[in-house]
Amino acid sequence: MSEFLSLFLEQVQSPTLGFLIGGIVVAALGSQLAIPDSIYKFISFFLLMKIGLTGGIAIRNSNPSEIFLPAIAAILLGIVIVFISRYTLGKLPGIKVPDAVATGGLFGAVSGSTLAAVLPQLDAAKVPYEAWTAALYPFMDIPALVTAIVVASVYLSKKTGTSEKVEIWPIIKESLQSSAVTALLLGVALGVLTKPEPVYESFFNPLFRGFLAVLMIIMGMEAAQRMNELRKVAQWFAIYAFIAPIVHGFLAFGVGLIIHKLTGFSIGGAVVLAVIAASSSDISGPPTLRAGIPSANPSAYIGASTAIGTPVAIAICIPLFIGIAEMMLGR
Amino acid sequence: MSQQVWKLVIVAEEVLSKKLTKLIKEAGATGYTVNAAGGEGSRNVRSTGEPSVSHTLSNVKIEVLTGTRELADKITKEIESKYYADYSIITYIYQVEALRDHKF
Repeated sequence: MSEFLSLFLEQVQSPTLGFLIGGIVVAALGSQLAIPDSIYKFISFFLLMKIGLTGGIAIRNSNPSEIFLPAIAAILLGIVIVFISRYTLGKLPGIKVPDAVATGGLFGAVSGSTLAAVLPQLDAAKVPYEAWTAALYPFMDIPALVTAIVVASVYLSKKTGTSEKVEIWPIIKESLQSSAVTALLLGVALGVLTKPEPVYESFFNPLFRGFLAVLMIIMGMEAAQRMNELRKVAQWFAIYAFIAPIVHGFLAFGVGLIIHKLTGFSIGGAVVLAVIAASSSDISGPPTLRAGIPSANPSAYIGASTAIGTPVAIAICIPLFIGIAEMMLGR
Repeated sequence: MSQQVWKLVIVAEEVLSKKLTKLIKEAGATGYTVNAAGGEGSRNVRSTGEPSVSHTLSNVKIEVLTGTRELADKITKEIESKYYADYSIITYIYQVEALRDHKF
C-alpha cells in the first residue's frame, strides 16, 4: 500500500497537475490573468493533432485488427455511462431527468485535454501502451453524446405525449465536424497516409509538453470559474461529478484488463481506456448537448464536468490508474 | 436617399447563431449582421473574451433590417416559438433610417 501511495504521490507532483492546480488557485484568487481564446483554440488543436499523428504513425506500423475489440469496448462504455447517470443521478430527489442525462452524456464523452495529459505521464512512468489507443476517443465520445440526446428525447416525448423522432445522423455529423475530433482524425489520417515524421520530430513532439502545461492552466482557471455556476444547482451534481470519473475509470479499466487477457492489449492501453472513460468533455460536448437537449440546464452539466469532473479525472484518475498499472507490472 | 426600415435585434446564445441566421434568411430577410456580445441577464452573466472553452457561455447579437414590420414580426414569432423556452434570448425592434438605397 505504501508503495502504491508513493507511486501515486509521484504522479501528483508531475508538471501537468501542478499547472492545473496553479490555474485553479490563481482564478480562485480573482487574478486578472487571461489566456486569449484563440491561443486556447490553437493549443487544443495542436495537442490533438500531435496525439492523432502519434496514433496514425502507430497504426501504420501495427495490425489494424488489434483496435477492433478496444473500439467496441469504447463504444459500449460511452453508452453505458449515460444509462448509469440516467438511473443513478436521474433518480435522486430534485434532479430533472434531462439534466441527469445531459450530465451523463458529457461524462461519457471524452476530454481532449485529459487524453493529452495521460499520454506523457504514461511515457514518464515508462508504462508501455499502444499509441493508437488515443484513436479510441471518437469511438466513446460520439456514442455517448448520441445516446444522451436520444434518451433525453425519448423521455421528454413520453412525458409530453408527443412523438418527435430524433435524427441520429446530424448528431454524429456534428460530433465528427467538431474541432477536437476533426483535429484528432486529421492527425490520424496524416500519420497513416503520409510520412509526417520530420514535422513530428521537429515541431509537434518537442512543443507538446509545454503547450500541455499551458492548457492545464487554462483548464484550471476554467474549472474555478465554472464553480460559481455549479453552486447554483443541486449539490448532487457536484457529488456525482466527483464520484463518476472514478467509477467510470474502474469500469473501463476492468474491461481493458479483460481485453488484455483475451488479446494481449497492453495494461498501459487499459489505463488510456480508463482515463478516456473517466474524462468528461469540455470542448465539443457542451455545444452539441446544448443544441440536442435544450431543456437541460447547462449550468448543471457544464459546471459538473468542467469544475469538478475534469480536475478529478486529471488529478485523481490519471495517477490512480498509472499507479495500479505500475503495481501490476511489478514495479 | 434614405428610407424608413425596421431594425430587429436578437441577442442570443452563440450555439444558436447558425440556426437563427438560417431562420432569418428563410423568412425572407435580405441580410443580417452578427456581432459577438456579452452582458448579464436573467440567466447569469454571459460574456465573450474570457477563456470559455466550449463557447456555451458566449452570446451573439444579430441585427436584421427589414422593409416591413410584418417580416420582422414573422421572424420574431418563429424565434419565440422555437427558442424562447429553453435558451437565453431577447429580441427588440426599432425604426431606423437606412441611408443606402436598397430593397429590404
